[in-house]
Amino acid sequence: MPQPDSPSPERFVVIVVRSGGIAGLSKQWRAEPDPERAPRWRELVESCPWDAAATASPGADRYQWRIEVHRGDTAVHRARLGDAQIEGPWRALVDEVRHAASPSPRER
Amino acid sequence: MTPGIVPPFLLDRLAQTDDPRLARAAAAARKTLALPRPPRPTRTRLRLSIEGDALVAETGPAPDRIISDAANTENLPGRRVRSEDDAPTGDGAVDEAYDGLGETYDFFWDAFGRDGIDAAGGSLLATVHYGDDYDNAFWNGERMVFGDGDGDVFVGFTRSLSVIAHELGHGVTEASGGLEYQGQSGALNESLSDVFGALAEQHHGRQRADEATWLIGAGIFAPDVQGEALRSMKAPGTAYDDDVLGKDPQPGHMRDYVETTDDNGGVHINSGIPNRAFYLAATALGGFAWERAGLIWYRTLTAGTLAPTADFRAFAAATLAAAATEYGEESEEVAAVRAAWAGVGVEEDAAA
Repeated sequence: MPQPDSPSPERFVVIVVRSGGIAGLSKQWRAEPDPERAPRWRELVESCPWDAAATASPGADRYQWRIEVHRGDTAVHRARLGDAQIEGPWRALVDEVRHAASPSPRER
Repeated sequence: MTPGIVPPFLLDRLAQTDDPRLARAAAAARKTLALPRPPRPTRTRLRLSIEGDALVAETGPAPDRIISDAANTENLPGRRVRSEDDAPTGDGAVDEAYDGLGETYDFFWDAFGRDGIDAAGGSLLATVHYGDDYDNAFWNGERMVFGDGDGDVFVGFTRSLSVIAHELGHGVTEASGGLEYQGQSGALNESLSDVFGALAEQHHGRQRADEATWLIGAGIFAPDVQGEALRSMKAPGTAYDDDVLGKDPQPGHMRDYVETTDDNGGVHINSGIPNRAFYLAATALGGFAWERAGLIWYRTLTAGTLAPTADFRAFAAATLAAAATEYGEESEEVAAVRAAWAGVGVEEDAAA
């Protein structure tokens, strides 16, 4: 019998941290997919090139990104990316997480 | 000098090398430097001013500004909407960027005799209305890019001359040989942009060092934000203290240096330390800060001897060398610069 209160091994949380920019402000979004969005998120997570090295974006004051996938207390994926790398599946994943993360009253 | 694909500072360095492995490259660089560059049209202008009872007429180079509009997409460069000599468009961000680039250009020319980002009259390229609610302004290696802000925290990045000059300053640093955008060299890169940002504002307002706010980005926060600017060079760590943004994390002394892996190793955080060193030197010397402290920092950047990986101590030593070259070893300028770096814990305090 599954324990209703224990997290399912299939459940995961995605954390997106954006730092840098001219203001140097860090902002974090943390979200768990709704059950109906979970397959889409899982597909996105698996399609992201997690082993790719961070490449520095040219210029200055660009955002820097840290993206992590956690199952329970364990980070199963972690990547650090330059702003120019946030495209394709990374961009889709970041957009999903930012959209799903509940905004604070003055969401910034 | 008309710019070629290889920047002049690199040719200079190559030409001067005595490494036998680079003998052929050095000879080629010397030959290239000796060649007359192809003619390239540069813009000039006549400026009139009044000094005492005399009308002074001056001819000099003029900026070549090109502002584009990304129409709230992230596609660069966007549609060209205002070029040099065009009338104002009525779009606030377009006209603020145009005016701010002109004021920054004037500052670099009047203070240091520098003709734009590449020191050769190249176009100043900017894109406004970048992205959707985009809370940032950046230099992408070719152009300055400004978001409109989300309206809740930021209300547009072109409203602040120090922000515009900060971005143009990144171009100047890159064209001068660059400082790697990571850790201490990255914080120096950031600090130089803040120095140029503050000085452009002071130059525009004809403010002396003791009259200036030394704030970076005043006027870009929405009214609800508890804060006056992004950073304070005078008092790092005091620019904002807001329930959502948190407190300004900048240190103003080496004992509070922040170790972090985010923000390229805290380049926008630890820049508070060299920022305050510049403020201390400028206010100790008094008068217009661009005339002595600013000139020393500018010479340090453009001498061609600053390593792209310089840390705070190497940069401090380079500012002392630049001050000694410009004003002499025993000058008050050298003493002020030494005391400034001691004041932020980068140099040992000789008096302690």
